Amino acid sequence: MKKRAVVAGVGESTYYERGRATESEFQLACIAIRNAVADAGLALAEIDGFVSYMEMRNDPMRLATALGCKQLTYTAQPWGGGGNGMASAVMLADSAVSGGYAKHVVAFRALAQGQFGRFGQARGAGYAAGNAAFSATYGLLSPAQICALQASAFMHRYGISQEALCDVAMASYHHAQSNPRAIRYGKPLTREQYHASRWIAEPFHLYDCCPENDGAAAIVVTTPERARDLRKKPVPILASSQGLGAGDGAGAFNERHFPIAHKSVVSKAIWEQSGVTPADLDVAQFYENFTGPVLIAMCEMGLAPPEGIEEFVANGRLLAPNGALPVNTSGGNIGEAYIHGFEGVVEAVRQVRGESTAQVRDVELSLAVAGPGFAPGSAVLFCAP
Amino acid sequence: MTRYLGDDWILPGTDALTKRFFSAGRLVFQACAKCGHVQHPPTDVCGACQSFDFGERASAGHGRIESLTVAHYAVHPALKERVPYVVVLVSIDDAPGVRVIGNVLNRAPSEVAIGQRVRVCFEEAKDPQTGELLRLPQWEVV
Repeated sequence: MKKRAVVAGVGESTYYERGRATESEFQLACIAIRNAVADAGLALAEIDGFVSYMEMRNDPMRLATALGCKQLTYTAQPWGGGGNGMASAVMLADSAVSGGYAKHVVAFRALAQGQFGRFGQARGAGYAAGNAAFSATYGLLSPAQICALQASAFMHRYGISQEALCDVAMASYHHAQSNPRAIRYGKPLTREQYHASRWIAEPFHLYDCCPENDGAAAIVVTTPERARDLRKKPVPILASSQGLGAGDGAGAFNERHFPIAHKSVVSKAIWEQSGVTPADLDVAQFYENFTGPVLIAMCEMGLAPPEGIEEFVANGRLLAPNGALPVNTSGGNIGEAYIHGFEGVVEAVRQVRGESTAQVRDVELSLAVAGPGFAPGSAVLFCAP
Repeated sequence: MTRYLGDDWILPGTDALTKRFFSAGRLVFQACAKCGHVQHPPTDVCGACQSFDFGERASAGHGRIESLTVAHYAVHPALKERVPYVVVLVSIDDAPGVRVIGNVLNRAPSEVAIGQRVRVCFEEAKDPQTGELLRLPQWEVV
């Protein structure tokens, strides 16, 4: 059994529509970190480590200086993965604290697309270098289109209908209606609206795609001993993992296993480290910048076989509080805000604390799975103390 | 010389590794000179025996559509007049494990489906930097 670091604090900035943030990206990061540190009952000066993912622009040296940290003993972020590095950041914080390299590590994500440009848009025309030459030349450019190729193959192979994608989108919108932080708060979605919405990249309708937002989210990870005296009930990291299967790092859709969400190695590690099974889960957050890859990730995590995934997500089974497995209970990337999944990490912790706006009863096990399909993948499992 | 996505659309920036794929005029893949392992996209080291020596393997150019998307939203201004367009992922009959991205030139996007048999064809483009003729692999439903 691995050593268990714990989450002592969570926080976020205000979430904004893309380009509407009144603060800079760095200021948003500092707000989220300040809120998470205050939630823990710690002082900013005590933070001695920073971890992030997805080529974070707001580096730890600048943060430590701005926030008045006494010293910095751990900084890291994973290679590759895009949003699939979301839980890798938690794993790095877990490693730093469990290994004794730092005492209070902040894991976070911040983005201000108004300030720095959009993640969902193609860069300029001209030449495409490296592996992009094999895709951009043929008009395959945006994350939506790339995830669509994964989703189409998966849906065709296992006879999955558009309704399964609709169910994933509906869960995010449903939960956003009880979350005042959510960008889609007060904007409910019906199945009719979903199906009538325009195509973006088949099989994705408009509502299969998350919006683009500005904001930041953060958690503070420390040891169980240190957390005992802090403000909030500590939330143990029961298991955390990053992983890539054999031959699955090849580019341009030449992974050995296709379609893929890069969760098979991660899944094995999460269930082995924790000693629990997918059936034991009380609630889960699945990174859904687009709905389709969620189905692949759910299957790779062992929640259902591909042949049974459509039924697994149907008939309100993903909805809190009474669904078989409530998913994306803050609204997720689609409904709450696209903070590259880190809003989901914060939500997974809140579910264990009993602080969610779509609270599931008596949560013992709360899973957060990164996505979509970029390599490598990651996941983290929180448990009740 | 009219390309599927327009003559002003992105061209592959070819280098020593990628040049043959985009200019050979037939479908060719990187193949290890030591063990014969075929890999795509090409890279510097053989994933089977770690050799640095490569030749190439010609394919007969037949395959099956493994996946597709029809792009309706133009993510680049140059594509506004081109949507909807279809992007396919083709598995190659005589190169197991290799998948190639392309467009289908002889069917409307709505008439392209997973499982259809395809054969390679080529789109010509002049590289404005080098003046060389590029022959970009594309696909026709059989």
